[in-house]
Amino acid sequence: MTTSTVQGSPVKALIVEDTPVHALILSTILRKFHCEITVAENGNEAVQLFLEGKKFDIIFCDKEMPVMSGPEAIEKIRALGESHVKIVGVSAGYDLEQSFMSAGADIFLPKPMKFDVVGPIIQEVMNKKNNSMV
Amino acid sequence: MAATMKLSTLGYAASMLSTGLFDEEFQKLLLLQNNSDPNFVTETITMFCEDGEQTIGELTKQLGKQCVNFDEVANFVHKLEGGSASVGAKRVKNTCIQFLEFCKEKNRDGCLKTLDTLRVAFYEVSGKFKDMLQLEQQQAEATK
Repeated sequence: MTTSTVQGSPVKALIVEDTPVHALILSTILRKFHCEITVAENGNEAVQLFLEGKKFDIIFCDKEMPVMSGPEAIEKIRALGESHVKIVGVSAGYDLEQSFMSAGADIFLPKPMKFDVVGPIIQEVMNKKNNSMV
Repeated sequence: MAATMKLSTLGYAASMLSTGLFDEEFQKLLLLQNNSDPNFVTETITMFCEDGEQTIGELTKQLGKQCVNFDEVANFVHKLEGGSASVGAKRVKNTCIQFLEFCKEKNRDGCLKTLDTLRVAFYEVSGKFKDMLQLEQQQAEATK
């Protein structure tokens, strides 16, 4: 899948990541798929965005962060009734998948993230978004 | 920096791989740069070097305390591990993994020894990065 096959209104992506290098790399990858990007530096900031009424189509969420961890933030976001948003848990350790999935994540991706894995996920989210607008 | 990396810089980058300091993630990073993100490599590498230097400073401070908070130390190491994995700084990443083991064991001497190794690896990597960026800048100036 190439970036040129992604069509429709832009996917609103939230990156929840306290490591600036990761946030920058993931932002760059997502921009190639024409996503609108917001970055939160920890789980608490991410939850606050939802409490403020912000909406996202997809969240890429790190695990270990100050103030509030990824899984904790995911639990809270799901508890707010945000069942539609695709949540991708992202972490360097493969044994962390379970903590993300138990919290309500849809997918787990290990770091460093592979460019060719992100595209199909974004396309799926975009298809779902465009279908729901019909 | 040019929209795509100059061939000479890519050649230098390829030689960096043979040093054992870097892995294929570094090459993937270079390929992410294009017209819509013309400064991506400079920004990422600069950010990694600045954050890494700050982290090493924090680790030195934390391990110098009478009562070491190994969880706090591990948090800093984990952050550097993640950043180094993303930019392909293999030796830094692997040293961080060893460091985390010593943190788990609450082994202060092990942590201190590994911090020295980490410092050397990090400054070797950041030196290579800076040389690469300088080469790219020189090439850009020469073609103006």
